[in-house]
Amino acid sequence: MHNQILELLNGAVPGCNAILVPFVKQEGLGVGDDVVYVEAKLISRVCQTLKSAPQFDFNVLQVITGADFVDYLEVTYVLASFTKNLELLLKVKLPKTNDSSLPKVDTVTNVWKSANWQERECFDMIGIEFVGHPDPRRILCPYDWEGYPLRKDYKVQEIYQGMKVNPEHKMNFAERDFTNVQDLAFKEGRNVVRPELKGKQV
Amino acid sequence: MNQVMTEEKLKTELLTLNMGPQHPATHGVLRLEIKTDSEIVAEVIPHIGYLHRCMEKHCEHLDYRGIIPFVDRMDYLAAMNMEWGYAIAVEKMLGQEVPRRAEFIRAIIGEMQRIASHLMFFGTYAIDLGAFSPFLYAFQDRENILRIFEEVSGARLLYNYMWIGGVWNDLTDDHLQRIALLSDEIEENIKKYHTLVGENEIFIGRTANVGIISTDLCYQYGLTGPVLRGSGVKWDLRKNRPYSIYPELEFDVIVGEGKKGQVGDCWDRYDVRMREMHQSIRLIRQCLDKIPAGPIMSKVKKVIKLPEGEIYHRTESARGEIGYHIISKGDKVPYRLKVKSPCFTHISVLPEIAPGQMIADLVASIGSIDIVLGEVDR
Repeated sequence: MHNQILELLNGAVPGCNAILVPFVKQEGLGVGDDVVYVEAKLISRVCQTLKSAPQFDFNVLQVITGADFVDYLEVTYVLASFTKNLELLLKVKLPKTNDSSLPKVDTVTNVWKSANWQERECFDMIGIEFVGHPDPRRILCPYDWEGYPLRKDYKVQEIYQGMKVNPEHKMNFAERDFTNVQDLAFKEGRNVVRPELKGKQV
Repeated sequence: MNQVMTEEKLKTELLTLNMGPQHPATHGVLRLEIKTDSEIVAEVIPHIGYLHRCMEKHCEHLDYRGIIPFVDRMDYLAAMNMEWGYAIAVEKMLGQEVPRRAEFIRAIIGEMQRIASHLMFFGTYAIDLGAFSPFLYAFQDRENILRIFEEVSGARLLYNYMWIGGVWNDLTDDHLQRIALLSDEIEENIKKYHTLVGENEIFIGRTANVGIISTDLCYQYGLTGPVLRGSGVKWDLRKNRPYSIYPELEFDVIVGEGKKGQVGDCWDRYDVRMREMHQSIRLIRQCLDKIPAGPIMSKVKKVIKLPEGEIYHRTESARGEIGYHIISKGDKVPYRLKVKSPCFTHISVLPEIAPGQMIADLVASIGSIDIVLGEVDR
């Protein structure tokens, strides 16, 4: 299926540079999904082509999600066809900007209406601007929130509407540090007592 | 002349009405900003995020086993289905075998959870439309199911029961017998409930031909699950992209038929859920007949590390298709975990179907898509 999609995309949308990145199966481990990468600036036309191609008929946009890979951002479009029973992971790469402006990609709301909320969530969480979006507001965070929580370098703002976010006396960082506690447990193969409980009867 | 003058002087404007976040008919903390023209809804703007805990960020710091309790807390009314979907996604990428008995237990528990969730829908929907007692009836049966869940998993709502590579605890013969008895009892009860509520003249008047969602709209907005099937689309992941042991089991995909009104109205969505419960009971009975003896947990590595790459796997939850998109970099924590929530997409269709409805019908529409805000906001 993926090769036919590449053929279709590279033929119908010149310059979209559709490439297939297959999942590399490792010995003794399971399988994942193959991914198709396309040029970010042509995403709208690519989606339109995939939706209107009768042999694929990707009539449903399942989800739009982003991921932060430190040097660049990635947006994944999960398309599905309920008539042909297909599924496709379509991806674009967006370079990070140096200044405060957000990486930009065209909206696909004109192709599927479900993109409206999905793109709003993606904007809210990862910080990607969808050019031409009819309603570019935040959706899960408050409308005046700052920063993009799912970026890897995200820092919570200190003051929100005059209130202190994460006040010191309410925080317990030792309890939150799951990774280290488990690291220790795995390394030493013993039950780990949280630092603040050390020496006390538990 | 006089009349014309008064008409010119009259000023009309839309009235903004705020529904929620604490409103019994929004099933949690959903806020709807409604612009009304007298009693007719002109525009609806949903505001979500009141239950946003950013679980996806949490998951980036947790190992693969530690995430299971977190996915529980997303859809707290169908937590077993959430765990099941997640476990399958991880197992598939890990190449992990699941013992056959565990698969059957998962199917039994998953279908029971579906019944419990649909019963919750039935009860709260009746409350939305002004009938209180069906809620209590529904809770009686749901309570019986939760009691069994509590015995096998130790918790009533948030189970952490389906683990990677199997399930945590075995079902004893006593449990299986009781589940068989319980499914007989629930089957009888659901028939009664349907006669009591579904065939009720007032209920039909409130739901038939209300909040019609066409097939095209379903595809446009990516609606799934009972909402999609209520609009007459024969699509069920258990049938169309089968996972676990569903290929071996017999059941029908229920679609809305427009018995009381048009296809895709609120009554159809109600009806689909009620008839789906009968199918779930049918599935449970087959599982109880076929369940083999054997282990319930396969050997899983102490530290789970997924191979580098990604996977998107979706399963049929009680509310629709729940999808897990895991990006792994070969560590013991996921690099990125995205949960595709069915209710999130279901709410996004409200601004489309609401205009032109009465406010009371809007309440019926919200109830019929059966949202859980914990899953919407994640």
